[in-house]
Amino acid sequence: MRPLRLSGPSRLLLLLLALPALGMKLPIPHLYGRVVMNNGSGKAKVPSVGFDHWRHRSQFTCRLCHIDIGFAMAAGETHVTASSNRSGYHCGACHDGKTHIRGQTVFPSCSGASTMDETGSCRRCHARADPARLEKEYAVLAKGLPRDKFGGIDWEKAEAEGRIRPLDFLEGISIARAPLKNQREITIQSRGSWMTDVLFSHPKHAVWNGCEVCHPDIFPNTSGAAHYSMMSITAGEACGACHDKVAFPLADCSKCHLKPVQ
Amino acid sequence: MKRWSGRRAAAALLVATASGLGGLAPGAEPTLVTRALAAEAWRAEFDAICAKTQDAMALPLDELKSLVARSDQLLPELEKLETSQRKVYVKRLQGCRNLYAFVLESRQKGS
Repeated sequence: MRPLRLSGPSRLLLLLLALPALGMKLPIPHLYGRVVMNNGSGKAKVPSVGFDHWRHRSQFTCRLCHIDIGFAMAAGETHVTASSNRSGYHCGACHDGKTHIRGQTVFPSCSGASTMDETGSCRRCHARADPARLEKEYAVLAKGLPRDKFGGIDWEKAEAEGRIRPLDFLEGISIARAPLKNQREITIQSRGSWMTDVLFSHPKHAVWNGCEVCHPDIFPNTSGAAHYSMMSITAGEACGACHDKVAFPLADCSKCHLKPVQ
Repeated sequence: MKRWSGRRAAAALLVATASGLGGLAPGAEPTLVTRALAAEAWRAEFDAICAKTQDAMALPLDELKSLVARSDQLLPELEKLETSQRKVYVKRLQGCRNLYAFVLESRQKGS
């Protein structure tokens, strides 16, 4: 069976109808990738921390935070505390009031103040979401950066065009390493004859991640015969560990399903 | 005790040598200097183990086995660190160890 050839509007209509059935949603750029961290905030009677991935993505690779600094990929597994931040770990690895990133001093996290009002910096992280402010700040950051079809920043293109240069090394924390050698591209055959195959690119993923971000936790199969389904991916397995949460949304089908059908 | 610069490590070594405190007599309490040296030792071994993750696919099987064994050997040392440091470094070491074990298994299946 040959793949369906649809016009632009028909393709968009089909996409909008299919997304809810597959558990996908269209992202709101300034809220996409927002993580609420509430390990100890409730107990300490301070608002939980709203972490927006996009603020950090323009400056750092995923690997730097998720490997070198030790932030887990799943909610609640990092066990960040005010104490670990104050000791110079987790957020405190950079947010210590001393570290300079690109000529700017990074504001300190969790100063040990007894109340939220003693220092203005607490509220920079411990604050309830203000969508209007987030939208404005996102627009400032995104100005001049390429956008994807949903209006979000196209990080891959931004990096490829040299508009952003994410740091991958933090002095005293990271280990000097050789660049990733495995630059293999892998074809993953699509189950539906109407959908093109996936061309998985190690080089593209290696820009942001090290091997241990994905293997073995997210992709544990060593036999090369792993099967993936969109149902499990939208539920957060395999590619869904990042895509539809932080990395570009699954609704952007053609970003992965891009290998022409033979 | 993060961010051990070369200068700080050298200073610790110098003090240790000058004070004649390089070793620890049986039953003696560890001093600041011996603790600093122990900290430097685990960090050096940790860095040496995890520095090869990007090359994992190209490493010989024997080296992969050795890296897994060295990770298992280092883990109890990291379990003794203070809470915040332990959380970060145990997680990091497990990431490296699991990757080497994963590559080892996939290479052995493939051969």
